[in-house]
Amino acid sequence: MSADAPQRSAALTATTLLGPATFVAALGVIGPMLYLLRYSFNQYDPRELMIETFTLKNYQAFFTNSYFLDAYLTTLRVGLFATAVCLVFGFPLAYVLARSTSRYKNLMIIAVVVPLFVGNAVRAAGWMSFLGSRGLLSVTLMNLGITSGPTDFMYSEGTVILGIIAVNLPYMVLSLQSVLEGINRNLEEAAYSMGARPLTMFRRILLPLALPGVAAGAILTFILAMNAYATPVLLGGPSFRMMAPLVYGQFQLNNWPAAAAIAFILMLTTLLLTMVVSAITRQKFRVT
Amino acid sequence: MTGVQLESVCKFYGDFRATEDVNLTIANGEFLVLLGPSGCGKTTTLRMVAGFVEPTRGSIRIGNVDVTHLPPWKRSTGLVFQSYALFPHLTVHQNVAFGLEMRKVPKSEISEKVMTALQMVRLDHLGERYPRQLSGGQQQRVALARALAFRPDVLLLDEPLSNLDAKLRHEVRVEIRNLQQRLGITTVMVTHDQEEALTMADRLVVMNEGRIQQVGSQRDLYDRPQSQFVASFVGRSSFLNGRAGGARFVTAGGLPVVIDSRLEGEAVIALRPERITLANAPLADTPNNLPGEVEFVSYMGNLIDVHVRLNQHDHVIAQIVNRDDTNVPAVKDRVFVSWAPSSSVFAK
Ligand SMILES: Nc1ncnc2c1ncn2[C@@H]1O[C@H](COP(=O)(O)OP(=O)(O)OP(=O)(O)O)[C@@H](O)[C@H]1O
Ligand SMILES: [Mg+2]
Repeated sequence: MSADAPQRSAALTATTLLGPATFVAALGVIGPMLYLLRYSFNQYDPRELMIETFTLKNYQAFFTNSYFLDAYLTTLRVGLFATAVCLVFGFPLAYVLARSTSRYKNLMIIAVVVPLFVGNAVRAAGWMSFLGSRGLLSVTLMNLGITSGPTDFMYSEGTVILGIIAVNLPYMVLSLQSVLEGINRNLEEAAYSMGARPLTMFRRILLPLALPGVAAGAILTFILAMNAYATPVLLGGPSFRMMAPLVYGQFQLNNWPAAAAIAFILMLTTLLLTMVVSAITRQKFRVT
Repeated sequence: MTGVQLESVCKFYGDFRATEDVNLTIANGEFLVLLGPSGCGKTTTLRMVAGFVEPTRGSIRIGNVDVTHLPPWKRSTGLVFQSYALFPHLTVHQNVAFGLEMRKVPKSEISEKVMTALQMVRLDHLGERYPRQLSGGQQQRVALARALAFRPDVLLLDEPLSNLDAKLRHEVRVEIRNLQQRLGITTVMVTHDQEEALTMADRLVVMNEGRIQQVGSQRDLYDRPQSQFVASFVGRSSFLNGRAGGARFVTAGGLPVVIDSRLEGEAVIALRPERITLANAPLADTPNNLPGEVEFVSYMGNLIDVHVRLNQHDHVIAQIVNRDDTNVPAVKDRVFVSWAPSSSVFAK
């Protein structure tokens, strides 16, 4: 009896510790989500706003309306592209950080995170002063005689992607760095000594071993990119459309059923792609 | 197979000299051991041969090729690390096959060569396992098979045994040495374990503070150390400081000692404990026969260390064999110690 007393008390402790968080999560996240799910099957009415019913009209409307579909495809494109770029740029950076023996390593890691200290509005102002028609880039190009008049680089898909990458890159770098740090450098050297060139070593040894970090980083940045709100609004301008602002737009029009449906489509798409990535990773990384 | 040559090889990290002026010629098929205290530049030297550290100065040749500026993958070195460094996501078989694939060995031959390599270390039955399903000793043997499978020009071992327990260390030690001799592969091993170095090497290199102190056979190093550092690092010695002049030596405590050497000035005599004779009375016809008092006796079973104080400044350790008839002195006993004039003397 006394033998399992510690176990029972451990279980009790776990319950005590996890209880409040679980409760808050259930109340604060799952509850409203179920509510939203229910809303997405209701019907919008200009006068009564929402009529309780069960219809798939909101989902149907989304996939048959080119305005919505456009935003959907743009979001996917931006999300995938930004994630891919973060991965390509983040890997070398994370690698250098992970392998650094410099005593300034901690400072370098902080330098990677520092951009996140800046709020979205301030960051957008920064991009404007760089990319706007009177911004640094435009003026420099004019002064160099490459362009004859001012060029506005703001308010395009490219600008939004750039903005999202700037926000997401630190997340990617940190995810990769923590995994790369755990990979013994001797493994790389063993591969080299057996005649592997750097690219072969990367493909056959480093990448497979870093895959959990790649997956974590990719999933994290992809979720962030798909759900970006401030960046597309501030850097994309009024005519640029992505899903998160769209959801908010529908809420503002008081069309809760449509907003809920769009929100769920966004969530399910993100979830699905995330699951595909984890499944692939797990399969590739299957050891026994 | 091929030899290796290092010519005035230096590696500086800023002002710090990790290795300096290393000159070594390693013969074809030779087993050379780099021995020295921690931080003396052994690993640095080995990594320069492998190509992971570029020398600040000097040149390295493997066979007839100057590899000083060749990247590691263009050299042909088999590397075994202290940490095994097996690829965790590949099976034992795939690990060993890696080097063969990199060298574009035809697919049809790889399997057979992998088996041959695994048979060499008696692990051919574990090819399908993953590294983490093996014991430390097995992992190290796989690492050895992997390093040898593609028949490199040189085998480089960096403290390959230091993660193994004592019994296993003896086994793998013999295994490595046997394989090395059977394949006749030029080998450089780094260790700071003296016993390991002495039992495995054809020739040893003693390093200290980035420099080679002495190169030679076990016998050279033990019987003819060329510096106080080697005399203290290889085996044990007790030292008598003093002044030398014309085949005579006067210790710091004023005792006259006969030496063979022609040194002049400040010097130090190194005495191997087992070369010191211990007696109860002065011995006739022995040149260096000095009285002293037993200070401490350390009993080690087969051998006994007797610490003898000659005077305030001079102190020696004599080692005697523990036989039936051995007269083991007690602390405070008056004894006589003596040694041959041929003992090593170094200038200070
Ligand atoms: N990248 C580096 N930067 C600066 N100093 C270094 C670097 N690599 C090695 N050193 C220094 O060079 C010296 C020699 O290192 P090395 O690794 O060759 O020693 P070692 O003889 O192998 O020692 P151990 O027996 O402890 O492994 C050490 O003092 C080490 O601190
Ligand atoms: Mg070392």
